[in-house]
Amino acid sequence: MTRALVTGVGAITPIGLTAHDFWSNLRAGQSGIGPITCFDASDLPVRIAAEVHDFEASHYMDAKEARRMSRFAHFAVAASQMAAEDAGLEIRDDERHRAAVAIATGSGGAIETMDQMEVMRDRGPARVSPFYIPMMAPNMGACQVAIQMGLRGPAMASVAACASGLYSYMEAKHLIDSGRADMVFAGGTEAALHPLPIAGLANMKALSRRNDEPTRASRPFDAERDGFVFGEGAVVMLIESEEHAKARGAHVYAELAGGGLSCDAFHITATREDGSGAAEAMQEALKASGMVANNIDYIAAHGTSTALNDASETLAIKLAFGEAAGRIAISSPKSMVGHLLGAAGAIGALTAVMAIHDGIAPPTINLENPDPACDLDYVPNVARKMEIRAAAANGFGFGGQNGCVIFRKPAV
Amino acid sequence: MATVFERVRDVVVAQLKVQPEEVTLEANLVDDLRADSLDIVDLTIAIEEAFADDAEIEIRDEDAENIHTVQDIVTFLNEHGLS
Repeated sequence: MTRALVTGVGAITPIGLTAHDFWSNLRAGQSGIGPITCFDASDLPVRIAAEVHDFEASHYMDAKEARRMSRFAHFAVAASQMAAEDAGLEIRDDERHRAAVAIATGSGGAIETMDQMEVMRDRGPARVSPFYIPMMAPNMGACQVAIQMGLRGPAMASVAACASGLYSYMEAKHLIDSGRADMVFAGGTEAALHPLPIAGLANMKALSRRNDEPTRASRPFDAERDGFVFGEGAVVMLIESEEHAKARGAHVYAELAGGGLSCDAFHITATREDGSGAAEAMQEALKASGMVANNIDYIAAHGTSTALNDASETLAIKLAFGEAAGRIAISSPKSMVGHLLGAAGAIGALTAVMAIHDGIAPPTINLENPDPACDLDYVPNVARKMEIRAAAANGFGFGGQNGCVIFRKPAV
Repeated sequence: MATVFERVRDVVVAQLKVQPEEVTLEANLVDDLRADSLDIVDLTIAIEEAFADDAEIEIRDEDAENIHTVQDIVTFLNEHGLS
């Protein structure tokens, strides 16, 4: 069977408009969280977010095409084009049917629904945009990438709440393993910053209300954590079959070894407190990758900074990895970029890949006073240089969706 | 005061992302200005909104069927009292 290799990385994030800028700021412990600027949040209980600033869609695509896409699709197209460029990939016309897309999202173009509802209410149904449906549909992140880049293999968009991004790497692995594709642009994208989801999540008590200290608001595994921070952005990585990558002499960041999924089958939003559902996904990922707990040196945790997640994820890691859990470096990118929802799993995957590639575990920032229920090694506040043979990325979503994907150093 | 044509040209440039010099009276929306059927619906909505302060105009589906060129839009607006 062929191997699935990561040969290109692209990202639009609150801490960098390329994957490499994201990674260097992540290593440096740079927070991308600040006051909400894209709308007036003054009457909301939560007035902070991890926004993407200075993004110009027209830098990455034709201005007319950009006008027909929602922001989540802009991010997907930009990140995919950067992944192709980073990989040095020029797709030939005779291999377009061998190029696939798997780009997940949590809510797609939900902001278009909210805006067009206002148009219909204020100006009547005749004024609703004919682009509303193709801008809103959650598959349009993946399909716009296919359209803009001429990728004629399968285009997929998993909907798995905050685990969505990881599902894309499962799809990519299947597409490469089954021989259906040689190239898969895989990742997640999210751009749903709007008062409505902020209000809904705030009323669930899921969001941090540390409005006066935005950069300290996301504090996974810390005793003073009070919820996650809403974020936006996208990550897309090019997953390529070993034969295809070798034939063109591609640089290989890491190998996508395998992944595992499970569902808590428990509650609409709460995780199983004993972590058994999430542990199942991690164990399945190890099994699918042909690895054991001792092979894993780093975990990019889901680590949302909510009371429930961080404690149950800690239990899940202990359940899945046993005694090895104590020696694995674990950190949460969300401490810096907030929670990118449908793109969060892809942020974790990119973090795992770069950690392996550069031999660096990025920090969990704001970890000042660890919660006694969170007693593993979360790489507090300062990045650590270390050999990372293999790394896992965790992602869990409302509905009880659990995902874990494992990457490893490419065989030389 | 800008003419009806100049105001239509500005809306067409903004909606279809074309160059102002491409928007001549003779320009065909599909063949010359690269609009598809969705663009034309979007354009008619934008025209209605752009001229809403001058007159309550409505470009109905049967009107839109007869709009092929920039001249057709200007003619429609002229016939509805805008000049």
